[in-house]
Amino acid sequence: MSVRTLKGKRRWIALGGCLVWLAITFFPLYWVLITSFKTPIAVVGGPTYLPFVDFEPSLTAWRELLSGQRGQFFNTFLASTIIGLSASVLATGIGAMAAYALVRFTFRFRLLSALIFIVIAFGGFLLGRNALGFGQGISLIYAFIAALALAVLSSRFRLPGPELGNNDIVFWFVSQRMFPPIVAAFALYLMYTEMGKLGFKLVDSYIGLTFAYIAFSLPIVIWLMRDFFEALPVEVEEAAMVDNVPTWRIFFGIVLPMSKPGLIATFMITLAFVWNEFLFALFLTNSRWQTLPILVAGQNSQRGDEWWAISAAALVAIIPMMVMAGLLSRLMRSGLLLGAIK
Amino acid sequence: MTTRNDPIKHFFIWPALIIVLVISIFPLVYSLTTSFMSMRLVPPMPARFVGFGNYADLLQNPRFWHVAGTTTLIAFISVGLQYVIGLSVALALNSRVPGEGIFRVSFLLPMLVAPVAVALIARQVLNPTMGPLNELMSALGFPNLPFLTQTSWALGSIIAVEVWQWTPFVILMLLAGLQTLPDDVYEAAALENATPWQQFRDITFPMLLPISVAVVFIRLIESYKIIDTVFVMTGGGPGISTETLTLFAYQEGFKKFNLGYTSALSFLFLIVITVIGLVYLAILKPYLEKHK
Repeated sequence: MSVRTLKGKRRWIALGGCLVWLAITFFPLYWVLITSFKTPIAVVGGPTYLPFVDFEPSLTAWRELLSGQRGQFFNTFLASTIIGLSASVLATGIGAMAAYALVRFTFRFRLLSALIFIVIAFGGFLLGRNALGFGQGISLIYAFIAALALAVLSSRFRLPGPELGNNDIVFWFVSQRMFPPIVAAFALYLMYTEMGKLGFKLVDSYIGLTFAYIAFSLPIVIWLMRDFFEALPVEVEEAAMVDNVPTWRIFFGIVLPMSKPGLIATFMITLAFVWNEFLFALFLTNSRWQTLPILVAGQNSQRGDEWWAISAAALVAIIPMMVMAGLLSRLMRSGLLLGAIK
Repeated sequence: MTTRNDPIKHFFIWPALIIVLVISIFPLVYSLTTSFMSMRLVPPMPARFVGFGNYADLLQNPRFWHVAGTTTLIAFISVGLQYVIGLSVALALNSRVPGEGIFRVSFLLPMLVAPVAVALIARQVLNPTMGPLNELMSALGFPNLPFLTQTSWALGSIIAVEVWQWTPFVILMLLAGLQTLPDDVYEAAALENATPWQQFRDITFPMLLPISVAVVFIRLIESYKIIDTVFVMTGGGPGISTETLTLFAYQEGFKKFNLGYTSALSFLFLIVITVIGLVYLAILKPYLEKHK
């Protein structure tokens, strides 16, 4: 019993407020669920609320959906699942490695190296495209490689100017989330089109979309996993280092198993983000690798007010995440997520 | 120990670094250079350097200002409501209302539903003839309300949907913050016979301020990016009255293929977000330092 526990009348007012919010939270979800079991006539006839009492439930919408009359649901579901799972696994893995390196090792470089990178990237692109007459795609690739090589090379010399460290790298990663995704999505679409002209098909491809999702999940993964690794006791690793265990084995054999809860929580958050993501999928796919949000959004304009079918379609996108929420809440209750969020 | 040095650290960090660099610097280079050119795909036009022409065009376009205003309105009102409701719910949950365990789990659900699906559900619930909300309104004696077809109602509906979907995030973060507050301060306050309101005003709120600032910041930035909800609910209509920045950029870029213009628009968008973020942090900084 904590001092902060409410007593008396206030406790019941708080409960009342929570119940109201609970009703607001659940009503739309309840509504979409029952609508998916209504017949077309029952939907058009005006709102009804209780199955078996004021309308007879029917499986029309679900039968139509599963038999493929309402577009390629099965393929889209599969594409969403494959892209969602692989992007979140890879992002969690790559992000965890980077976060670990940022917690346990020291990185130092000069601001000047970063500036060199930016200047060469811009200059090289403009030079290649306008002066040397390369295509846009080729210019971008050359400029990027040259910029990266020169920036890394320059960091070997003692350059003047302020020095940047781990915190600056973390800040840079996290600040990528501030970027309005439309800037990236639109340019990425054009870049993928350019790459397509060079023979690498990236628009509407598995690699193209997954890659974009990994890049856009990494900031949040690094942010969450960094807090998690910082909370790990360092003694175990030190003991292993005394025994001359190589770093990669410390990471994969000791650190990762110890941080399983954090990895699972991060993976689920990433999966929810990728599964529900709309803008990138809208720009970067058109048929083969279309994801569920795009298909669901399309239902509306294609079908008008066929709410029974639209509800069933929406539920296909919602249910997997609801199942995951159940798992996530188990983690939450055991207090695991708390450490990761703080 | 924390300053271990081992060349293997590069293998750990470079994959992430390369991926984010490729995906963020390519678009940056490309769209920043394109934003200074006049470039169209439909009808095809040769690229031509126009300097700040696109930016000037945009700044003179009343539609840009309208869209920026609409986005700001949606973002600020919905985040404000999210914070007020989220804080109240988090406080209630933190003080152990009966059934707190069930609330905690179910309050998270909206956050995980695809925004597109949320918008579709909202359309059904708000439907003038088949939706339950209008039936309720008629039962209470109101006329049939044009939830999605009249500007102010449509804006209100979009804000309501945003609040429904994202208040859970605020609850989640504030609850985590509340649980880290030390009990002894409250024990001392109880000894001094401080009223609950005094406790809230003098202890809880100031101590929660850093995390509140962070939560509101994250939500504001994210709200500015809103597209999917609006895209499905109103499509920016009626007219362009609910169009947001991202939707406007999508229309210009993907429907009209006006590349230079769209690139300039997305950079103005980036500037708007950065300015708002900086102003927000600058305004709140003195308060944060005062309570440290």
